[in-house]
Amino acid sequence: MFRFIAVVISGAIVLSACSSSPESVPESTPVSSGEPQLQTVRMITHESFVLSPFFVSDLRDQGIDLQITSTGDAGTLTASAILAAGEPTADLLFGIDNTLATRATGEGVFASYTSPELANALPKFVQDTQGGFLTPIDFGDVCINSDDTWFEQNNVATPTTLEQLPEVANLLVVQDPATSSPGLAFLLATVARFGDDWPAYWESLRDGGVAVAGSWTDAYYSQFTPSGGDRPLVVSYATSPAAEVVFSEDASVTVPTTSVLADSCYQQVEYAGVLAGAENPTGAQKVIDALLSRKVQEDIPLNMFVYPVRADASLPAVFTDFTPVIATSASLPPEQVSAQLASLLETWGTVMNR
Amino acid sequence: MGNGDEPLSGAISQHLPRSLKWLWVLPAVLFLIFLVYPLVRLTTTAWSADTLNALTSVRLWQVALFAGGQALLSVVLSLVIGIPIARVLFTYQFPGRGFMLALVTVPFVLPTVVVALGFRSLFGETIPNGLLLVVLAHAYINIAVVVRLVGTQWSTFDHRMAVTAATLGASPMRVFTTITLPALRNSIVLAASVVFIFSFSSLGIVVVLGDGSSTRTLEQVLLRSTSVLLDFPTALAAAILQLSVVALVFVIAARISRNEPKAKVVLARIPLGSRKSALLTGFTCLVAFILVLGPIASIFWASISSLEGPTLQWWGALASEENTRIGSPAAALGRSISLALVTAVIAALLGGSIAIAVMSKKGIIATIALIPLGVSAVTLGLGILLAFSRGPFDLRGTGVLIPITHALIAVPIVVAVATPSLRNVDPRRYFVALSLGAAPLRAWWTAFGTVFGGVMLAAGGLAAAVSLGEFGAATLLSRTDSPTVPVQIERLLSKPGESAFATAAVLSVILVALTMALLLIVDRLASKRVFT
Amino acid sequence: MNAGLRAHNLVIGYDEPLATALSFGVGPGEILVVVGESGCGKSTLLSTLAGVTAPLGGEIFLGERNLRGVPIHQRNIGLVFQDPLLFPHLSLIDNIGYSLRASGQSRDTARARATELLEWVGLSEISGQKTWELSGGQAGRVALARAIAAQPQVLLLDEPYSALDSPTRLRLLADVKDLVIREGIPTIHVTHDHGEAQLLATRTLTW
Repeated sequence: MFRFIAVVISGAIVLSACSSSPESVPESTPVSSGEPQLQTVRMITHESFVLSPFFVSDLRDQGIDLQITSTGDAGTLTASAILAAGEPTADLLFGIDNTLATRATGEGVFASYTSPELANALPKFVQDTQGGFLTPIDFGDVCINSDDTWFEQNNVATPTTLEQLPEVANLLVVQDPATSSPGLAFLLATVARFGDDWPAYWESLRDGGVAVAGSWTDAYYSQFTPSGGDRPLVVSYATSPAAEVVFSEDASVTVPTTSVLADSCYQQVEYAGVLAGAENPTGAQKVIDALLSRKVQEDIPLNMFVYPVRADASLPAVFTDFTPVIATSASLPPEQVSAQLASLLETWGTVMNR
Repeated sequence: MGNGDEPLSGAISQHLPRSLKWLWVLPAVLFLIFLVYPLVRLTTTAWSADTLNALTSVRLWQVALFAGGQALLSVVLSLVIGIPIARVLFTYQFPGRGFMLALVTVPFVLPTVVVALGFRSLFGETIPNGLLLVVLAHAYINIAVVVRLVGTQWSTFDHRMAVTAATLGASPMRVFTTITLPALRNSIVLAASVVFIFSFSSLGIVVVLGDGSSTRTLEQVLLRSTSVLLDFPTALAAAILQLSVVALVFVIAARISRNEPKAKVVLARIPLGSRKSALLTGFTCLVAFILVLGPIASIFWASISSLEGPTLQWWGALASEENTRIGSPAAALGRSISLALVTAVIAALLGGSIAIAVMSKKGIIATIALIPLGVSAVTLGLGILLAFSRGPFDLRGTGVLIPITHALIAVPIVVAVATPSLRNVDPRRYFVALSLGAAPLRAWWTAFGTVFGGVMLAAGGLAAAVSLGEFGAATLLSRTDSPTVPVQIERLLSKPGESAFATAAVLSVILVALTMALLLIVDRLASKRVFT
Repeated sequence: MNAGLRAHNLVIGYDEPLATALSFGVGPGEILVVVGESGCGKSTLLSTLAGVTAPLGGEIFLGERNLRGVPIHQRNIGLVFQDPLLFPHLSLIDNIGYSLRASGQSRDTARARATELLEWVGLSEISGQKTWELSGGQAGRVALARAIAAQPQVLLLDEPYSALDSPTRLRLLADVKDLVIREGIPTIHVTHDHGEAQLLATRTLTW
């Protein structure tokens, strides 16, 4: 412990000494025993990033020591990248989504790179590079989830379209789009559907008694009926029913008791990009290629509960069985989201009296 | 605070061993490097002409005003709940006292998401989201601040003062308002300012329990501007305004604190004599017990139940990654504990040096030490990220950033709680030791060593507890493959699925138990040294 | 009208009796000095009489009034501890006038009376000082004036001024003796000092 203190204090002294002499210190490359050519690549991502351990160990076999740090949620991650634009805190970033992408590419956060692996992606993603700066890695939908058991027991018809929701708004809990990412996606879904009339739609939800939660956690774990709440409709993810099966206590639970309202979905795409000014850009490119490899792509669904972009990646059974292919999911052009976000939230706040 | 200049240290300051006179440099340097530099770095990066526009926006000031009102209500409620508990815990000696003291400290160090969910499940059907629920939750979290700060001063209050006033014809109520409260004034002012600042800059609670309008805080504006709108000028304006309000609160607090010497310090606790005081104590403890455990009872329950009924399987799976796929709970626990230990050492060193600085009349140090209270975790985390992630400043891989940040966050509390004890030591002991021929450093140690050791222990223990529960900075600075327990809880709670929720509940319960155990041990060791 | 204080078969202590049942009385112009070793229960006796501690048995009468169950602030019994225990947040005048304010008199009345009493104990020229700026002897006088201001029917002195040096203490105690005899306030004084007891007592009770 005392040695540690000595390290801290001497580190502090070194730091203060360094700050007066701007000469750069040679890049240190940690070398592990027996692997002389190991190069360090640093990746920043959001706190929800999870992959199986082979992701890092396979890269190590290719001579890459990948260090992953998380920086809050996707929004905070993007903010930190923009603040550090040009002098990035890492070599690559994974986890920026289509609502924020334009803003970051416009600020010069990313260096151009198009992975050769992207050719293997689903057709709609092959060209989706946000101006050549970003590589799509996975996608998923934010949708209304319904508690089937509740609707069955109460003899109420489950709504199937966005238009039906105002009638059952008192059964629905959404999240505040200003504090919750799925909340924002659902707002964007209504904007995509109703265009300039979206405020009127939200007025009808408000008058119908919709509940607004501050976070997904509160909405899902204390207001949604399966968790003991009083709202059988909640804004969540298309894959939540599948996750309920995978993460249930009892192995005999093989069928989810919740389902997805397919008409209400909004698509989120997650990208990775090489950060402009990275110390190790080529290493970063290799990591992006690895993220698009079939093996990693097939590892994505059960870890992060989103879909891989790669066309030939096979999906686990819970995905094919319980998660409908959302054919109709809405999305807005990133430029439009970027330009209108502030005024959308402002108007939403006025309509919802928040 | 103003009480950093209490006259007791007057003579001591001139005779402090030379080697100790410069000890304040250590915390000052650490503050410059790890607090001031990152904030300056962040400010210069995010600054633009729009920041000034944002600073003059009416809406920002409206939010500040609302948050101020909310914080005032939270202060009042915390004092109303905390002061009676402080009285019982710090003036009587009874079995279970240490346990109760540790228990009321638990809400303070619990991750806010756990508290918020607990409140939702307890009050979700009776109290709608909004001001009332937010104020209740803030009071809940801050009971410990009031109990510990006010209680420490209360234990030095000479009970015979109150008896004297009563023999002069003052009713118990009058004794309380005209004698006891004024005697506790400094600690009440300090506790009130700390609670005000916590509530004023609250984030997790207002997001989950607020209504989005009457409960907004600048911290919420800051997060929204940073992470959703990427509107850095507004974020910076909110941060600047928040820090200014915090500074103002401390200036006001220093103004209304008194500088009275204590006539004589009495640290003996009264055994429970009369039936009346025993009843009062029992009743207060029972109420406190229910108050503290009520909101988190549902979390306890969730850790031992499943859709099929009661189960212990979530506990059995502690070491497995199967339930969560994001690392085993046991690994997160091990990591959090070792981080807490490192934090404890740093905070004890920092707190100790600051306490000595305060004794040697560097009262300004104590005031500066409180600044981190007003800096949001997001701001500090982003600043540290920017400042120490690159080139010669690269400390990310070293693993020191989280404990240092936690120590900085804990230092204000540590200083507020620990320094009064040092001031209570009779400085004459030092001169006696000097006159007996001891060298200055040795004499100083003879006079203050025992108490000082207690202060460092208490400081380290509290800092470790804060570190165990801290989420905001850890989420910005931890490696994805090695989350701390609160980060792990938060991540689990943002996943659907029974096992994710139950595992989060198990971790929360362990966090409560761990915090309790830590505080019990530290309180016991520290009080042995301080109260001799 | 001041008929003094009587104790009848009084048993004092917390859980266990500290002494056998005590019966004694003290009337106007009398100083009853209780002498005994430290820790034998003298202070407990006083705190029982003042109402801080409940007796284990027996009765206390103030004149004809039985004090059983009467709270401290309604007993009208003055109590002065070893230390002066001046209220640090109040001025000297407000310290002395405290009992008058507590009994509902106006601030001005209280201050006028307190000023008189301060003069009476010979300290009018230091009325602007803070409590902690006083010498031990001065603080002791202020404490006495504060107790007298309440016009107590009995005055209890718990080894008063024992923190002071011997000459100052004895001079102060002589003043106290003159005062309580002149004013006719029945007084009970506990001490472990037999010399002091002989000097002050009109009657002595040895523990």
